[in-house]
Amino acid sequence: MIDLEQAIRSLTDNKVDFVIVGGVAINLHSSAYITIDLDICYSRSKENIHRLVAALAPFQPWPRGLSRDLPFFFDESALRNGTNFTFETSIGDIDLIGEVKGIGDFSDAVARSVTYEIYESEVKALDLTGLIIAKIAADRPKDRLVLPELYALREALDPDEE
Amino acid sequence: MKKRTPEEKLLNPRPGSKIAEARDFGIDLTLVAERLRQSPQERIDGLQEGMKFLAELERARAKGPVRKN
Repeated sequence: MIDLEQAIRSLTDNKVDFVIVGGVAINLHSSAYITIDLDICYSRSKENIHRLVAALAPFQPWPRGLSRDLPFFFDESALRNGTNFTFETSIGDIDLIGEVKGIGDFSDAVARSVTYEIYESEVKALDLTGLIIAKIAADRPKDRLVLPELYALREALDPDEE
Repeated sequence: MKKRTPEEKLLNPRPGSKIAEARDFGIDLTLVAERLRQSPQERIDGLQEGMKFLAELERARAKGPVRKN
């Protein structure tokens, strides 16, 4: 279970450029869906990777599924050597996504985002249409299950839709 | 004609709409309407409480029944 307050405060305190995607974003849009992790799309600029490492290193990220006997060091080099990562941390699971399937990279995610205020900070979250596109592209059973609710929310919130 | 609010649309879906499809799929739209009335912070706090409840259920499942009645 992710401690959302610690995770989001650390990201915003360190001025990380990120967009919340996945279940937490779905919740921000009023869904009652429950998730246990935090998925963020992050900018892969050198400066942002530096800030991201500073934000998350205190929580000792470790790749999910990687044996603790194997060597791994969470640093800028590790993040530069990949794009998408799934980490377990001392505050819960955090997925770092450089490229969101169906959406693209951080700048594409920003273009499909809205800003919410949580924990006294402004944070970006993928908008409803962006979430629908990402869920269709991911096309796992759990993605298909949430689609009817996302379509319903988009229709309910559309002022032109009666 | 007066436009319906998002909540009104969710609670009384137009036949053939995506909202009606979601209701027929089994989504509890009263919960969604309730969440719409909340602030983003309240939604996130509710999600965190839901996570805690799930974790407690998982602990109970892992422990197994405490007695057979």
